[in-house]
Formats: sequence, C-alpha cells, structure tokens
Amino acid sequence: MILLLVALISGLLAGLGWAGWQHRPYQAPALQSIWLAFAAFIPQIVVAYLPATRHLLPDWLGSIALLISLILFAAFAWRNRHLPGMPILLAGLVLNLSVMVANGGWMPISPQTASRLIGKDVLGLMSVGSRIGQKDILLLSQNTHFEFLADRFLLPDWIPYTVAFSLGDILVSLGIFWLLAHPSVKAKMPPKERVHLDYI
Amino acid sequence: MKNTFARFSMLASKVNRQHVQLVLAILALAMLVLGIGAPLDGGGGIR
Repeated sequence: MILLLVALISGLLAGLGWAGWQHRPYQAPALQSIWLAFAAFIPQIVVAYLPATRHLLPDWLGSIALLISLILFAAFAWRNRHLPGMPILLAGLVLNLSVMVANGGWMPISPQTASRLIGKDVLGLMSVGSRIGQKDILLLSQNTHFEFLADRFLLPDWIPYTVAFSLGDILVSLGIFWLLAHPSVKAKMPPKERVHLDYI
Repeated sequence: MKNTFARFSMLASKVNRQHVQLVLAILALAMLVLGIGAPLDGGGGIR
C-alpha cells in the first residue's frame, strides 16, 4: 500500500513541480466516470481495508467481492484509457487480475517471500491457503498459477521497509506516476503569442 | 458567530471548481491504485 501511495504522491509532486517551473497552474487529469472508482472501492473497504469487517465475510464471498471490484476498476481505467499513463496502469491491472482469478480471487505469495515480511515464527502459525495481509493468500510456489505474476519481488535490503509486490504493482506504480506527472508537462502557448504567430 | 460565518464564506469562495476537481481526481486515483494494486507490506522489516 505504501509503495503505491509513494508512486502517487511522487507523481503529484513531480507534476506540481514541473507546473511551478513553467509558471502554469497544475491541471488535474480529466477523468471520466469518477463515480465508478468510488463504487469500485466500496467492496474493497469491506473485504480488505476495514479491520472490523474483513473477517466477517467468508473467503469465497470476499474473493468474489474483490473480483467484482477489480472489474469495476477495469471499466473505470478503460473509460480513461486515453490519458497518459493509463494504458500502463491498465496493463498492471490486467496482470494482477489474471493472477488473482487464476488463484481463487486472492494474490498469491509464497512462504519463502512471506517469511521475509512477517518472520518465520509468525509464519509457522499459519497454514498454506490462509489469508495474509489485505489481499494475499499463502500458497506454495509449485501450486501457484502464473507464479511470475505473484507478489514475489522485494525491496533491496538497504531500504528500511519491507514489502512484497508483483509485476502488476510495478506497472500500476509507473502508470500512476506518469499520469500525475504528465498533465502539466505539455506546454501550452499563451494566446497572445499564438495571435502574433498567426500574423507571421 | 457572524464573524466566523463571514470567514467561512470567504474561504468557501476561494475554493474554486478547479480545486474541487483536482481533489476528486486525486481521491479517485488513490482509490484506483489502492484497489488494483496488491502489495503486501511488512513494515519496519524482518531481514
């Protein structure tokens, strides 16, 4: 979660910085059907983010809600596919959705990778197939479909924060950075200069 | 009370449509990335 928020905030700061450098106001991305994003997030609040409700639903119902949410997000991203960065973000969504659909609706993570995050002692208390974190499920690598798309990457050891992420997450981070950094990049000629050029 | 209301009105008039659009767009995009991304945080870390 932190990884994605860092990408979002740094994209926004890059966009604001560039707009400031050019003495122009920052332009928000012209998103269409914003309501879809809000509607898509509701099931995730219940299933993944709200501690009070995330264990109320059985896993099978939770995974269905999660997949419905991802499909709604895909519709939102598709509606806005013309925006810079959105195709990369959409590609990341497709990769994450594919691996989650193929593994029962949750993002798989191997015990080897999980042990780097939560420690072997805690991991020893968990069984294969149990939910871990917000959207992950503990699965053996050999039993994971599309294992190369699972949460298998870790940050370098010198970074004092541990997080496991997927190829889809990398694309989502790049896409959101580009989307927020880009809108102000396109330089617009002031109207006065345009009139002047018309005379030439 | 009257003073507070006047201050609030002045503040509200300063919030223009573009600012509201920007906040909504950032909020929607934050939901999008949190919704479609699925990293697992370990926090401070065990190495």
